[in-house]
Amino acid sequence: MKGEFSFQSVRTLFKLDLLSRFGSTHKRGVKYRIMQYSNYLFFVAIYALLVVGIFYLTKMFVNEGNLRLEFLTLAATITLAIATAISTGTVIKNLYQNGDNEMLLRFPVSGKEILVAKTIYCYLHNLIVCLLLMLPFYISFGVVTHARVGDYFAYIAVTLLSTLLPFFIANIIAVPVMKLMNVVKNQFLLVLILTIAAICGIFVFYLTSLNTFLNYLRREGQTLFSSGTIYHFKQFAQNAYPFNFYAELINGRLYGGLSSGQLALRFLYLFLINAALGVIAYFVTTREYYKTILYGIETEKASFKKSIKDKQRPVAWALFRREFYLILRSFNYSFQYFAMACAAPVMVFFCNRLAASMGAESLGAQIMPGLTLMVIIIFVTIVVSFASTCISREGNCFYHTKIIPVSYMTQTLVKFALYSGVASISVALCCMVSGIYYTTDAGGHALSAMDVGSIFCICEILVISLTSLYMLLDIKSPTFNVGGDGELVSANKNVALAMIVGIAVAILYGVFAMVFSFIPVKVGSWQITTFGGDIGNIYLILAIVSLILLGASLSALFVNLNKKYQNIIP
Amino acid sequence: MLKIEHLVKTYPKSDRVAVDDISFELRPGEIFGFLGQNGAGKSTTIKCLTGILPFDSGTIEICGHDIVKEPIKAKMFMGYVPDNHSVYEKLTGREYVNYVADLYKVPKDLRTERMDRFAKLFRLEFAIDKQIKSYSHGMKQKICIIAALIHEPKLWVLDEPMMGLDPQSTAEIIAHMREHCAKGNTVFFSSHNLDLVKKLCHRVAIVNEGKLIDLFDLAGNEENKANLEERFFRITGTYEERLFEDYIAQESADMRPDMPVEQAQQPQADENEIIENKSAPDTDKGEE
Repeated sequence: MKGEFSFQSVRTLFKLDLLSRFGSTHKRGVKYRIMQYSNYLFFVAIYALLVVGIFYLTKMFVNEGNLRLEFLTLAATITLAIATAISTGTVIKNLYQNGDNEMLLRFPVSGKEILVAKTIYCYLHNLIVCLLLMLPFYISFGVVTHARVGDYFAYIAVTLLSTLLPFFIANIIAVPVMKLMNVVKNQFLLVLILTIAAICGIFVFYLTSLNTFLNYLRREGQTLFSSGTIYHFKQFAQNAYPFNFYAELINGRLYGGLSSGQLALRFLYLFLINAALGVIAYFVTTREYYKTILYGIETEKASFKKSIKDKQRPVAWALFRREFYLILRSFNYSFQYFAMACAAPVMVFFCNRLAASMGAESLGAQIMPGLTLMVIIIFVTIVVSFASTCISREGNCFYHTKIIPVSYMTQTLVKFALYSGVASISVALCCMVSGIYYTTDAGGHALSAMDVGSIFCICEILVISLTSLYMLLDIKSPTFNVGGDGELVSANKNVALAMIVGIAVAILYGVFAMVFSFIPVKVGSWQITTFGGDIGNIYLILAIVSLILLGASLSALFVNLNKKYQNIIP
Repeated sequence: MLKIEHLVKTYPKSDRVAVDDISFELRPGEIFGFLGQNGAGKSTTIKCLTGILPFDSGTIEICGHDIVKEPIKAKMFMGYVPDNHSVYEKLTGREYVNYVADLYKVPKDLRTERMDRFAKLFRLEFAIDKQIKSYSHGMKQKICIIAALIHEPKLWVLDEPMMGLDPQSTAEIIAHMREHCAKGNTVFFSSHNLDLVKKLCHRVAIVNEGKLIDLFDLAGNEENKANLEERFFRITGTYEERLFEDYIAQESADMRPDMPVEQAQQPQADENEIIENKSAPDTDKGEE
């Protein structure tokens, strides 16, 4: 990369970057500010919960397991792995995928200055992530072990030192990841298949590991801190290089019996590792950054050529195909929708099996139908939430939906058919997978054919209800916040609302089915539920509620649709 | 062809009337220019008549069909080219035009013939099968125009169509506008290019602050043609004798400023260098 380098330009570019992200002086209404503060509060509440959880986990490890350095090693490993993943995403997004690269290259600044300004932002982002992730572990550790004041400075120093490793690794990984993304960019089907395989693989690995761990505890009749598991923790801590060095730098002298010389050696190792990774990151990034962004900007390379024959199609089919292609040809959209819809049956199966192995033993096999219902609805909610951007995704082309000689009803029905259709197939596969396993000896006959059929019907009705409800959300309040490639810049508020509604429905339905499979209820002479008996009546109640929801959501969407659609102003 | 009566449009949460009681009618076979400053209400009027924006009162009829009461029939007769040339960039040019042709129910043979003809006319044959996101600004504008014309609309509406187009493409669009009108169709377009409007349009309307201030013939009326700029400047409240004279002078004369002597000589020196360098390769080759 050639060109002059000026810190003044870097400073200006960095300030410009910050201004574009946080510098909006546009005055918003009270409603917006309430929403904004609610979001902050929500984030703080979730973070507080996480900190409380970490504190109790620390107490368990330190007080019950007497695992001090081992806990610090585990904390360093987990937090550094998460920070690396987040940092890689940040680097790819800001350095390589950000649409402002093209704009900045027009300014009288060199590529190196742009790179440095953006790198500063990425590092600061990484720093905040590391502080938020690591400090709760270390401070909890200090509180639980009644550490001296000086130890807290060590925690901060090690946290700051820890910020380098994920940042350097992220910079090294980002370039090949970006190159791979550019290569497979237009192989839509291949990307979709790989994404589905990756989602399923990660999910199956995670749940299988968890299941194996829980089975181990159960089989050995051991607790989390039995002698067997403590041995494994100690083994891990001894071999988890270089993460155990961070732990030893914090409290190696006190809990590991390390001398000053050994500590200095640990520091030297970490310094050398970081320095080596830093040098590699520097050369990889400076060598490849300019080339990679130019590749991204030169849209000729990023686009594809496809010869098709002219053919007349029915209007609805033409609309359907267009919607389908626009989703398929966008990595973000096809991941959110098709990949999740295809992966849902696998995720439901493994999640259900884990929950069943834990819940059925402690509570009884009666919880299985409710549990299956809840798990399926949760995963299908994620799939259907895509419908809550049905209008927003049109972006700058929204005008097109208004000028074409096709009624708003037809256009909405086509989208409705696509969204609910894919989700319905996903539900059918989820039920089929659960049915095949749990109605056999392998699944312990935890579900009957009637259970599977009923769950299928209830979920299908819910899918259609939620699809129409989510579409209505976006028709009433779309957000046309699209980037240079015409895709939504970020998930809009409707997606968050859709997820909350869907998960609430899943919990309500699941808990209702699970609780009333234990509690006998009688209304007048009608014995609605009996303990451990037939839960047919529960299905009936849920089906009736779902049908009412279906009627209400369909009429909310389709009654006066023209007026609602006409009022959308692009 | 297009009949607008007492059109009123106010944007939500705005006190200003964007379009204030506008009425006019377009005849078959004419090219109609719609002039006004930025924010005068041109685009809002166009968005109302294309069905993009709802309006507060008044009526809009396209080929006898009310855009509110019979929107599908009305839209069937219209082709629209937006000012921002937004298209579905993930589709290829051919996919996009085919998609639009499906919506307007254009038979296969007809669409193939038209697509080939337009692609050739606008020199897009090499790019028609490429994804639209690889297109330049002008190419996107051209694909919008092809899509708008694929059903041979009776009313062709264009919002500032020449913006960002190369001179050849501008000339081709103008030629096609004339051809389109010769078949008895109507072209309605907004523009800031007074010179183009003067040469191309049969009639012109000038709007200012949402109101239709003037509507007059240009075809066969030399006086109106000659006075177009002055009328526009006076109506839009930007008339100042000195500025107007400057504008007219710019239109009619060479407006290139004189260059300082030493800089003016520089290109000549460069040209000499180029001439000298032309003979250099042989020497270089010899040395290699």
